[in-house]
Amino acid sequence: MTIGNLSPTRFRLPFWQRLADWAPTGISIIFGYAVLFILYFPIAMLMILSFSGEPNTGIPGDWTLTWYESVIFADTAQREGEAYGSNFRVGDPLLLSIMLAFITAVACVIAVLIVGPILPRIKWRGPFLVGFLMPLMIPGIVGGVGLFMWYRLVIHVKMGIWSLVLAHFVWAFPFALLAMLVVASRFDTRLMEAAEDLGAKPWQRFWQIEIPILKPGIYAAGFFGFLLSFNELPFSIFMRSGQDTLPLYLWIQSGAHNTTVPLIFAMSTIVTVGSIGLTFLAIKLAFGGGKNDVK
Amino acid sequence: MTSAVYSPNKSSGLRDFIPHLPAGVWSLSGFSLLWFGGIVLPLLAIILVSFLQGRGLNINFDPTIKQYERFFSYGGGDMLARSVRIAGTVTIIELLLAFPFALWLAKGCKNNTVKLLTFTALTVPFFLSPAARVIVWRSVFGINGVVNQVLLGAGIVDKPVLWLIFSEFSVHFGFIGAFFPTMVWPIFLSISLIDNDYLEASGDLGASRLRTLLHIIFPLALPGIVAGFVFTFIPMLGDAVVSSYMGGNNVLMLAAQVQSLIGVSNFLVAAALAAVVLAIMLAFQVLLWFALKPVGGLAGVFASLRR
Repeated sequence: MTIGNLSPTRFRLPFWQRLADWAPTGISIIFGYAVLFILYFPIAMLMILSFSGEPNTGIPGDWTLTWYESVIFADTAQREGEAYGSNFRVGDPLLLSIMLAFITAVACVIAVLIVGPILPRIKWRGPFLVGFLMPLMIPGIVGGVGLFMWYRLVIHVKMGIWSLVLAHFVWAFPFALLAMLVVASRFDTRLMEAAEDLGAKPWQRFWQIEIPILKPGIYAAGFFGFLLSFNELPFSIFMRSGQDTLPLYLWIQSGAHNTTVPLIFAMSTIVTVGSIGLTFLAIKLAFGGGKNDVK
Repeated sequence: MTSAVYSPNKSSGLRDFIPHLPAGVWSLSGFSLLWFGGIVLPLLAIILVSFLQGRGLNINFDPTIKQYERFFSYGGGDMLARSVRIAGTVTIIELLLAFPFALWLAKGCKNNTVKLLTFTALTVPFFLSPAARVIVWRSVFGINGVVNQVLLGAGIVDKPVLWLIFSEFSVHFGFIGAFFPTMVWPIFLSISLIDNDYLEASGDLGASRLRTLLHIIFPLALPGIVAGFVFTFIPMLGDAVVSSYMGGNNVLMLAAQVQSLIGVSNFLVAAALAAVVLAIMLAFQVLLWFALKPVGGLAGVFASLRR
């Protein structure tokens, strides 16, 4: 509160001047939330339409669970698929995506535990940080092509699961690292010194001091790794060999056959609800308890 | 382990930088080596590959600029210009929308529940499938979509409006929602790091709000603005989802072009295209580097979060 706000002249301003006072703020708030509405409207619409009889028209109504049945029961999907002139099978891509996401999450946790606690304390951290965060600065499609060129064309390695894991790790690691750095740069290293002075062995210091304090960052890195890998598309386009990940499969299906769109709506809704749930859990675990732990 | 013995001189030299886990320095070096050798160098190697020649998967190491000539003779220049123009326009729109919003969120909004809900709303989209966020627009804006049905039903138009989907309009529209959070977050962070005392001092000294905005907030928020610009523009330039869902074949952008080149095994022309984009990206990285210099670089941003 500034002193100016307390002066009585403020209350005698004419109406148009008071309007001019808060209009810019009001307009920026309205526009900001309008964009958020544009961002969330299609997601909400997707969920509503996935329960509708004719999702392709964009008009909700004629409520049904058919699409979910088709997605969940593979044999039904086969039957529906034939009826719709396509072959919508989501099981294998889903399993592959879950597996990739899990591996990526574990890899991210290990990597940020190696890098995170040390990086804020070394002298030449700038170049390291730029190198580690580089994938954030490259359009995904160019990154995918770049890695593909190098591994396939220059050193002649065949693509496979390993290359998808690599691609997803490249994409997720910078985010996981950023989350860990927020926690790690608050880490008071005197705790480690104190523990050392009190006779704690290196592994004891690691398990009993470092891990508990860095826990929010570890959770965040794990969830970021999982969710970012699970929904990753641009890198996967080039780094796969044969198998499709779930986003890739849904993307190809939606481009190829208009008729499978209802099933894609249902599948996307399941994935979206799962992702939102996991995101909330991640935010709660990573940053909710953090403020109470560190006083 | 001689750790039980207290020695005041133990934190000197290298130990100054790595105060715990001597194993840490080895694992960091090892990981960095893998990362720079396996990721950063291969990405930079695109530029090298783009100067080679060959067919399909066989390449030989004779330097040439043929790939660039072929790329530009196929109309690649137009495509690139279109991609940069669309991504640039939307980024500027995002900036105009996000800066006031971030300013309000950082300094104006006093309601913690509203703040928390807005933060969550700005975070969740990062973890959603990009396709799930735009796929519905086709049903809404399509020839038989909701908007056209309403317009026809109300008698505003006689025949369906076609430019609502598979047009530059729809691509711009699809981008605006999808890339809002990447612009808001950096600007919000940089504004919330501005000390409130500066703003109050400026007001007490008689500066108008506009003057405070232009002379105090704007310069101090500049690193966030540049970071927001880069983090919005770069991913948008390479976006594979919005442009194909909303633009179809009518608005060909970078990602679709790269894919079609790879699809016909025209790897080296794709490499030339990727190299051009990479060069644009590196220029931006340099820009970001200089923009963040006043606050001590990227590392400095994190150091200030420690408070």
